[in-house]
Amino acid sequence: MEKVLEILEELRPDVDFENEDSLVDGGVLDSFDIVALVGELNDEFDIEIKPSDLVPANFNSAKAINALVEKLMDE
Amino acid sequence: MQTSVLDWLDARACDHAEKSAYICGDVAVSFKELSDITKSVGTYLAGKIAPGQPVICMSGRHPYTPAYFLSVVRAGCTYAPIDSTMPVARLKQMIEVADAQYMLVDRGSYEKASSLGFEGEIIIAEDIADTPADEALLAAARANITELSPLYIIFTSGSTGKPKGVITSHHSLMCYIDAVSEVLKVDDTDVFGGQAPLDYIAAVRDIYFPLKAGATTVIIPKSEFAIPTELFATLNRNKVTALCWSVAGVELPAKLNAFSEAKPEYLKKVCFSGSVMSPKLLRVWQDAMPDVMFVNQYGPTEATASCTYHIVQGKVDENTVLPIGRPYKHYAIMLLKEDNTPALAGETGEICVKGPCLALGYYRNAEKTAESFMQNPLNDKYRELIYKTGDLGSINADGELMFHGRKDRQIKHMGHRIELEEIEGAAKCVDGVRTCCSLYQKEKELLYLFYTGDAAPKEITLYFRAKMPAFMVPRKIMQLDELPALPNGKIDMNALKAYFK
Repeated sequence: MEKVLEILEELRPDVDFENEDSLVDGGVLDSFDIVALVGELNDEFDIEIKPSDLVPANFNSAKAINALVEKLMDE
Repeated sequence: MQTSVLDWLDARACDHAEKSAYICGDVAVSFKELSDITKSVGTYLAGKIAPGQPVICMSGRHPYTPAYFLSVVRAGCTYAPIDSTMPVARLKQMIEVADAQYMLVDRGSYEKASSLGFEGEIIIAEDIADTPADEALLAAARANITELSPLYIIFTSGSTGKPKGVITSHHSLMCYIDAVSEVLKVDDTDVFGGQAPLDYIAAVRDIYFPLKAGATTVIIPKSEFAIPTELFATLNRNKVTALCWSVAGVELPAKLNAFSEAKPEYLKKVCFSGSVMSPKLLRVWQDAMPDVMFVNQYGPTEATASCTYHIVQGKVDENTVLPIGRPYKHYAIMLLKEDNTPALAGETGEICVKGPCLALGYYRNAEKTAESFMQNPLNDKYRELIYKTGDLGSINADGELMFHGRKDRQIKHMGHRIELEEIEGAAKCVDGVRTCCSLYQKEKELLYLFYTGDAAPKEITLYFRAKMPAFMVPRKIMQLDELPALPNGKIDMNALKAYFK
């Protein structure tokens, strides 16, 4: 979780990732943020985030993003 | 002969009355409704505003927004669209350039519009949409429009730190739409998937193809670009046949590997512009969609969206360098060397554009206008203007134009045009920034800011987020003890590039 937060904060230091739970639905992260984020997560955790993983529910909060990363690392 | 885009609108309101012009989600606006709204809102505006005045338009991403733009046109006026999601400081600069007495907004944008210190009157479009159309008043307003009357003012980045308003005539826009329609073979069976923000130059295709050809444009919600399965579902649900997107937009689904799970089933043509397309990502598209026609477009806002095109022939590989091609109909291109002599075959020169698609200039900025739109130095016989793009090009053996980057420090990032000097100008406004330099790492599409001073990187990001559009916020901010210098004292930008990761 710490590493995920670190990546998020470097990407968008203006966002309160600990408390925000509507990152995609609320329009906080735009498509370019998502592309950059997916690239960093794939590299950092050696996972492959697939198009079917790219749903708002998986990216609306740092917690959800972390859960997705952990799920993919287990696979 | 047609005089203005209103001639197109009137014709489509007759021959395609019930067909949808613009769709977003469940909301559709037919050509008949579009014409009726523009007449109602236009009547109200014409009753208040003298023809020829600019009207700022701030309205969300929905099918009524083009209707409000065209309402301003009905009133014989010029629309200046601005995007409410931009930071307040940026919007204030645009308002200052437009120097308008009226702002037309949708209800959703009213609160933001009211917070900008705008001194004129703010009119909510929904409140006046029931105004009975006054045909005599509209005819009187329209009598002021000639082909050369300004249609819109669209803002771009300016190196002085202030946006420039590019002002374009009906004639220029109609020439461009005519030319690109011919290449893309646009007709009333086409459904466009609209990507560009509606206030942005690239949206003129999505807004005006319906008026020209009776086509339909589906305005795609911005959020769907992060979610490729939703994006493709929207394209398929609406049977979208054509996309005119920024390169950045076209690259997104390929980067996210979207084609592994779904495909846009009805797509026939994809046209991209704004920056250099990655051949690797274009190949992803070509492999997934072998029957689609891909068109590379090139051109600045000042020459009405695009001036050259190249239809991609055969499959590209990662070493392919796509030409930017040949001039569209209504456009002419010439290459000038530093000494204002023509570049010979194979030689590199500055790409200059002439013809009826040249913008009327920069709004309320005669000095910048004179610098960029100048007498053709190869013609001393009569008045002929050219626009100097600042881009470098050469003609290849096939007679096609190749792009070789910029003369100055303008870059293309996420499909947007940015002057790096403007980034530096903003950074210098942050307390605790002493010196700075902004650079662009093209391969990774990262905007860097290097600086000296006591400010923390986070403070700089927060300042940019508050003042600048998202695409102008540097993603990598590096604090240095000092900036490397050349012997002449200027910043050594090549040395700074060593910091690129």
